[in-house]
Amino acid sequence: MSRTRTLAAGVAVAAFTALALSGCATTGGGGGDTGSTEKPAIDVGVSLQGKTICFGFSGSETEFWAAGIAAISDSLEAADARVIEHNSNEDPNKQLEQMNDCITQGVDGIIIIPEDGSSADTIIAEANKADIPIGVFNRPPASEDGAAIVAVADNRGVSAATMEHMVTEAEALGLDRKIRSIIMVGNLSDQNAVERRNGFYDVVDANPDLFEEPIEVQTNWDAATGQANLEAAMQANPEIDLLFTSSDFLYPQIRSVLEPLGLWKAAGEDGHVIMGGIDGDNRACNLLKDGFVDATGVQDLFTEAESLLTALAEAIDAGETDADELLLDPGFALTQDNVEEKEKDTWGCVITPPNS
Amino acid sequence: MSTTQKTAPPAAAPESARRVDGLHRFLAGEGFVLALIVVYVLAVSPFANGLLTERNAVNVLSNLWPLAIIVIGQSFVLILGGIDLSQTAVISVANTFGALFIAQTFAPALFSDTVFWGSVIGEEGGALSDAGLGGTVLAIVLTVAAGCLIGLLNGCAVAVLRMPPFMVTLGTMLLFGAVAIWMTRSENVTSLPPEYLAIGSTQGGGVASFLTLSMGVAVVVAIGAHYVLSRTTYGAWLYAAGTNRRTAVVSGVPHTRMVISAYVISAGLAALGSVLYSSRLGAGRPTLGDDMLLDVIGAAIIGGISLFGGKGSVLGAFLGALFFVILSNSLNLMNLPFHVVWVVKGLVIVAAALLDVGRNRLIGGRR
Repeated sequence: MSRTRTLAAGVAVAAFTALALSGCATTGGGGGDTGSTEKPAIDVGVSLQGKTICFGFSGSETEFWAAGIAAISDSLEAADARVIEHNSNEDPNKQLEQMNDCITQGVDGIIIIPEDGSSADTIIAEANKADIPIGVFNRPPASEDGAAIVAVADNRGVSAATMEHMVTEAEALGLDRKIRSIIMVGNLSDQNAVERRNGFYDVVDANPDLFEEPIEVQTNWDAATGQANLEAAMQANPEIDLLFTSSDFLYPQIRSVLEPLGLWKAAGEDGHVIMGGIDGDNRACNLLKDGFVDATGVQDLFTEAESLLTALAEAIDAGETDADELLLDPGFALTQDNVEEKEKDTWGCVITPPNS
Repeated sequence: MSTTQKTAPPAAAPESARRVDGLHRFLAGEGFVLALIVVYVLAVSPFANGLLTERNAVNVLSNLWPLAIIVIGQSFVLILGGIDLSQTAVISVANTFGALFIAQTFAPALFSDTVFWGSVIGEEGGALSDAGLGGTVLAIVLTVAAGCLIGLLNGCAVAVLRMPPFMVTLGTMLLFGAVAIWMTRSENVTSLPPEYLAIGSTQGGGVASFLTLSMGVAVVVAIGAHYVLSRTTYGAWLYAAGTNRRTAVVSGVPHTRMVISAYVISAGLAALGSVLYSSRLGAGRPTLGDDMLLDVIGAAIIGGISLFGGKGSVLGAFLGALFFVILSNSLNLMNLPFHVVWVVKGLVIVAAALLDVGRNRLIGGRR
């Protein structure tokens, strides 16, 4: 009797577990675990009804990525696609396995936010081999060997435009010496980080009489690493005039380093450091309005997502498996001078920030 | 009549004892893991789209080979009653170190400030970038040697200094994880030669897609490890030392040498596994091993390698790795959210640890 009861309990537990697991399956294109508080869906233009899209991302650790993931997920759902979402938690090996598992399921298209450029290459090669069109969002592949639709910001141009404004502000200070500047560099295996650094140096190199040799602070796209390295840099160089961050998500760390030194001041106050960065997120938008930040290079997140999804949907519709296209988002610099005019075009100023 | 009544119970007792003993042996052996795999696959296949397709079999095997090699390495240490947490750091260090030698180019903007610039690497590539197949083979040897060196350090700390394995390997995991990042300042080493990339790639269709170099390496390692553990004095000593250290030492087992060699094998095979991973990813990655510990330890326990030492086999380790790979694969195919996959994996490992305790109670000191 007790054996029967044990067996029955075992079967019940197994059945419950199976039901629970199948109930967790993501088949309806939900927002997954991105934690968005809004649904910024985009009109893809082509119906994806009956199509299955695999969407792989490497994490949602910053406001930009969280908003981007939410925008893509919600837009695919709005286009009636069946969405398979995979979060690889910044593990490129896991992301490759997840994408291979998607290919096994015979998906109609793939969208990835890769961990970095080289892992994008590997996944694009797998998709090409399986004749499945693939789109890459905002993080470009390291090489142009594979066929993929790549939506990416003109990081170099946007960085340079942001720096141009910062230089104008620095010149207005009327310093009797050269400008002491810091650049917080991203992970340089990511092409976005490389191009943002290039954009910064384009302006510095164009003004050799204006700048001392910039101080480079490595962040590797990691908040703790960035904070520790900035602290060390500020100890060695306590007097700086200008700080450029390769991503807006680092502002809390920058503030925690500058504030104790009396350097976290709004424009016009004594001790103000001219600051700018890239992304155009909600935090940067608010800091810019409060005067702490002078400029931010805005990647038009919604335009990038829209152009990518539309191009991928059209490729699927046309049966084009080797779609190969670069969709460049020109972006713009949001500054103290144009914030009233450009605020409505800045994604970080118009949406409630998703959890990141 | 009375004689029959008296003799019947003793005849029945050995029969039932044999059955119980057989059940115990099944639960403790590789047959149980194999049965678990078959039952699991049959149970989830209706929910996991494409699980039983040829394409998926290629995926599963591609994921299996490197993990199996690393789990087999871990088994040597677990059988000895230790644990090697530093395998993840070995994977990160070794695959990056080896890739540095054979990469065809290095961007000065990314690598000119790294420690090997101007010696091992330069703008024209690594020191062995022009050496063709021989250079690639030598780079793999250096990769494995780097792993063995870390294993030697672990082994000496555990055997000679009598430090707890958990603390030693936890420390070296952090230490060498940082070394991996320091070597390239966290940059991936790309532009690897085709000879190296061929190790992790699948060619052609049908049977050819299953016959990869990775498979060859893993099978050779598995056969070699099985021979060492089951057919040599070294293997017998390893089990003896893992079952009861004092008895083994009294019996003449060279315990210090056994411990050092087990950690060297564990790290060496972790380094070899890292070659397979990095070749299929097309880059040496200083963070490659960061998330692998759960899979390695989980697979070993499921495969019947006891955390208490003295028990386990290469076949069990191999099947444990296969189960873990199928588990991951099927959860992906069921399109479960990221956090659910981790919850399930965690529960499976806890269940396996519980099973390990049960097995030890059932079969005692036998293996």
